[in-house]
Amino acid sequence: MLLLPKFDYEEPKSLQEALRIFSELKGKAKVIAGGTDLIVNMKKGIVAPACVVSLRRIGPLSVVDTKKTVIEIGSHVTVSELASSGFLAAALPVLAKAAATLGSPLIRNRATIGGNIVTARPAADLPPALMVLGAKVELKSKGKKRTVPLDGFFTGPGSTVMDDDEVLTKIVTPGIPPFTGTDYVKLMHRATLEIAIVAVASRITLDGPAGPIKDARIVLNAVAPKAVHAVSAERFLLGERPSEELFTEAARRAMDDASPIDDIRGGAAYRREMVGILTKRALSKALDEVRGRETRGAR
Amino acid sequence: MKKLISLSVNGKEYELAAASNKTLTQALRDDLGLLGTKEGCGVGDCGACTVIMDGKPVNSCLILAVQAVGSEITTIEGIAGTGGLHPIQKAFVDLGAIQCGFCTPGMILSAKGLLDSKPEPTEREIREALSGNLCRCTGYQKIVEAVQEAAKTMKKEQRRDYHEGV
Repeated sequence: MLLLPKFDYEEPKSLQEALRIFSELKGKAKVIAGGTDLIVNMKKGIVAPACVVSLRRIGPLSVVDTKKTVIEIGSHVTVSELASSGFLAAALPVLAKAAATLGSPLIRNRATIGGNIVTARPAADLPPALMVLGAKVELKSKGKKRTVPLDGFFTGPGSTVMDDDEVLTKIVTPGIPPFTGTDYVKLMHRATLEIAIVAVASRITLDGPAGPIKDARIVLNAVAPKAVHAVSAERFLLGERPSEELFTEAARRAMDDASPIDDIRGGAAYRREMVGILTKRALSKALDEVRGRETRGAR
Repeated sequence: MKKLISLSVNGKEYELAAASNKTLTQALRDDLGLLGTKEGCGVGDCGACTVIMDGKPVNSCLILAVQAVGSEITTIEGIAGTGGLHPIQKAFVDLGAIQCGFCTPGMILSAKGLLDSKPEPTEREIREALSGNLCRCTGYQKIVEAVQEAAKTMKKEQRRDYHEGV
């Protein structure tokens, strides 16, 4: 049986109290949210925080706020809530789709959106979806608050721009503009409890119902030290009219934007090849979604 | 350091002294003597430790006992009624969905989590709901059939309860 090392446990009742603990203990304290990553790593001896801090009594962290022009998702909202909320499925389908592929139903009932971000795994499912949405994260520490775009949040596998005394409190994302479609495609050996071999998140916005592409976002997952934009593919699509040939060429360019490695889940050459296949699928699906939305809207 | 905590399990309150590094699986088995919950992999891959926490099936090996304070926990010991086995348990027995039995408590609790929120699931939804629970004996087919059978029984019982005004 895998046993946990010893640690202190705190359950502050307010965010202020929590931030004070982190400012005092610096790197020695860690937030436990769903625990589906932290407890595993502690059991395996990979991390050993002196103090584990649960923020479960701080209510606002578990709320999805839809009243503003942007959508605010508390860092402790569970992945199963992201996958099953009717509101989010309609407003941010790419996030709901990515959430539904994460872990298992049991894991999703505990794992949180904030946890999937701060652990900074190069194959984490939620960051690519949030990056195509243009999401930002709010980081708070004692007496300080800052908002960082997710595009600039990750610095490498397991590392981010967060300071030791900062807590991720919420994720802020704009809604999806008109004539926009999105998708998340994940290549796995099996359907559950699987980390992506390669995954691609896509988003295209057309300039009017039949117009050219006004905005294109493609984020590649598990093929670089962190989720990355396929920059040359995105640039290539701008101003063009969507077509199969166009998407084929964008997909080819996306393959060059990836820098995959060989590991137990797949070889680098195979992964690069799959970046092409998945990018084309994700773009086609996003285009279908634009057209689907239009048809629904016109009725 | 140990803390005195109170856990609500199967509708009963239990007091125990728990160190912060004790998992919910350990508390249930070692302190409360509820041995129906199994520890398999210990890292959330196998589902043998599944319990229902506030209505949702979860891996109890990834939850600290101190994190479960204030939540309603249901283990396999808590689902049979006064009239005998729960319909899901009965269907598992009747349809041969149990072989070695190690995964069974987790399978049944994941199935209960599904049927409580979705009384008429499709086969696909059943397979999806049980996908975090591994079974190395049955090949899953009989487990899926047992959940389908249990769904039918539960629906009939509900209708009967309704007509009898229970």
